[in-house]
Amino acid sequence: MAFVVLPAPAGRVPAVAASAAADRPRGLARIAGLSGAHLVLGVLAVVSIFPVYWMFATALRAPEDSLSQNPVVWPVSWANLAYVWDAIPLGSMLLNTFGMSLVLAVAQLLVAVLAAYGFARWSFPGRKILFLAFVGSWLVPFQVTMIPNYLLVSQMGLLDTVAGVIVPNLCSAFAVMLMRQHMQAFPSDLLDASQMDGRSSWGTLWRVVVPNMRPALAALAIMLFISAWNEYLWPSLVLRSSDQLVQVGIRSFLGAEGNNWGAVMAASGLACVPILLIYLFLQRYVVDAFVRSGLR
Amino acid sequence: MFVTLDHPAPAGSAAPAEEVARSVPAASSAGRRWAGRLTPYLYLLPAVVLLGVWVYKPLVETFRLSVYDWNLVPTAPMTYVGLENYATVLALPELHDALRNTLLYTAAFLVFSVVLPLVFALVARRVTGRARTLYQALIFVPYLITPVATSAVWRWLFAEEGGALTSALRSAGLDIGNVFRDPSAVIWAVIVIVGWQMLGFGVLVVSAGLAGINPDYGHAAAMDGAGAATITWRITLPLLSPTLVFLALMTILLSAQWTYPVIDILTQGGPGTASTNIYYLLYQFGFRNFDAGLSAAAGTIFFVGFGLIAAVFVELSERLSFYDN
Repeated sequence: MAFVVLPAPAGRVPAVAASAAADRPRGLARIAGLSGAHLVLGVLAVVSIFPVYWMFATALRAPEDSLSQNPVVWPVSWANLAYVWDAIPLGSMLLNTFGMSLVLAVAQLLVAVLAAYGFARWSFPGRKILFLAFVGSWLVPFQVTMIPNYLLVSQMGLLDTVAGVIVPNLCSAFAVMLMRQHMQAFPSDLLDASQMDGRSSWGTLWRVVVPNMRPALAALAIMLFISAWNEYLWPSLVLRSSDQLVQVGIRSFLGAEGNNWGAVMAASGLACVPILLIYLFLQRYVVDAFVRSGLR
Repeated sequence: MFVTLDHPAPAGSAAPAEEVARSVPAASSAGRRWAGRLTPYLYLLPAVVLLGVWVYKPLVETFRLSVYDWNLVPTAPMTYVGLENYATVLALPELHDALRNTLLYTAAFLVFSVVLPLVFALVARRVTGRARTLYQALIFVPYLITPVATSAVWRWLFAEEGGALTSALRSAGLDIGNVFRDPSAVIWAVIVIVGWQMLGFGVLVVSAGLAGINPDYGHAAAMDGAGAATITWRITLPLLSPTLVFLALMTILLSAQWTYPVIDILTQGGPGTASTNIYYLLYQFGFRNFDAGLSAAAGTIFFVGFGLIAAVFVELSERLSFYDN
């Protein structure tokens, strides 16, 4: 069952040694191979970055230069950004989206920590079937359950509210499975010691387990935050007639402004800035979190 | 390697937990013992309740809706129609188009998320150190770009008037016009856009898989006189197969969903049904045509179909994962 974790951190050391087979050819062949590798990676990097660069480049041109194909943007103009900022309530949309993502990340983390602790520490009747329920939820595409979810949110009176976006997503089965894996690897000696110190299971969780798992928790929190920020389908259903989150707000801006490319790129660029900032400062963390755990 | 569902817990690890769980209540009254038994369930309660309310109950609800005719208006009557919705949905030409497109999408995304990443990662593993970190950092960026921005920027790149990609292709002698209006080109445009988002992620996952392979196997084979190509084919690829199966399963389960924002923002499935897929169709049945029964019947069919595909893959990955253990 391959859902959760990719080859474990064993990777660190072999990263250097893995190329052993490739190291064998000496001299010219080796240099040719290495330049080939740089070439492939270089092209790949350019292909990956160019659209993102172009988005910001267009956003930072003077509005009358929108159609310019010049790769260098100089002088930089803030006119598009200023225009967008006035045209739609981008500040409050970003703030709302930030708040929503934060609430979701924290809630999903909390729910997952509790459940994973239950799974990892005790064996109890029904454990297997309950765990299967979490794994199995992967096979339920959201589009299959969206109508009943929509009806429930509507009954709760949460349509067109950010709360309606949050509530159905409070539990992430993925986070539960990932945390369970981390917790199973937790040394049981420490648990026993804590037990002997007279701590309850609750005390052990918060005083012993959680503090020792900070890196894993931080990585998962970042991942959950980014996923919540980038979620599109559910917000677009729940917030049909309002501009409360960037995803939905920018979609309607896109519809309204059509080919005003400078403005559209400015709005899109601003929607990405928070995540890109997180990435800039926590790059290794983010990549490791996503790659090790397989998916968003 | 991959951690499996729920291994019969190894004796060594299960015993202390059991002991711990029991040792608390042992000293006290029967009431405390009960509380001790309840403890794990209490920890699981929030997650299980949420999962039940927002995944499994709605799933059952979808099964139920699939045999009714209903327009999603709470006050409107629900009429029991038996299996009629299934018959209707299976006969719809849109469904056949969507199914065909979904197959094409999935096959194309397998190229972007498994085949190309495998090739790139194999070539790129010679690059190490800081250069490698830098490349990886850049390659991963598309995966983090919010879908609405991805759609917007690609619409701009593909714009007929002044789009960077359109202009570049035009100066190379290829006039693609407005791809989003061209029924034969639109699906490829969506594939390029979503493929662009998935490619870097795939490369990084495969690279991590490669880095996790014990180099001793390769050394041993090299000592026996195996060439680089033989080592790749006979040792690296088999050891990597669990990672590749995992990526393929993820692609199949999620690619249809990853395409949703792009389709919704850029093409709405069109022109005609040229770029739609089964998930977009579910959305249209439910939230455009307000035909809950039809959407639910189609959803049920796809749920069962995907379950079968996933079962095959799970079986496959179980078979393959013995290699490295």
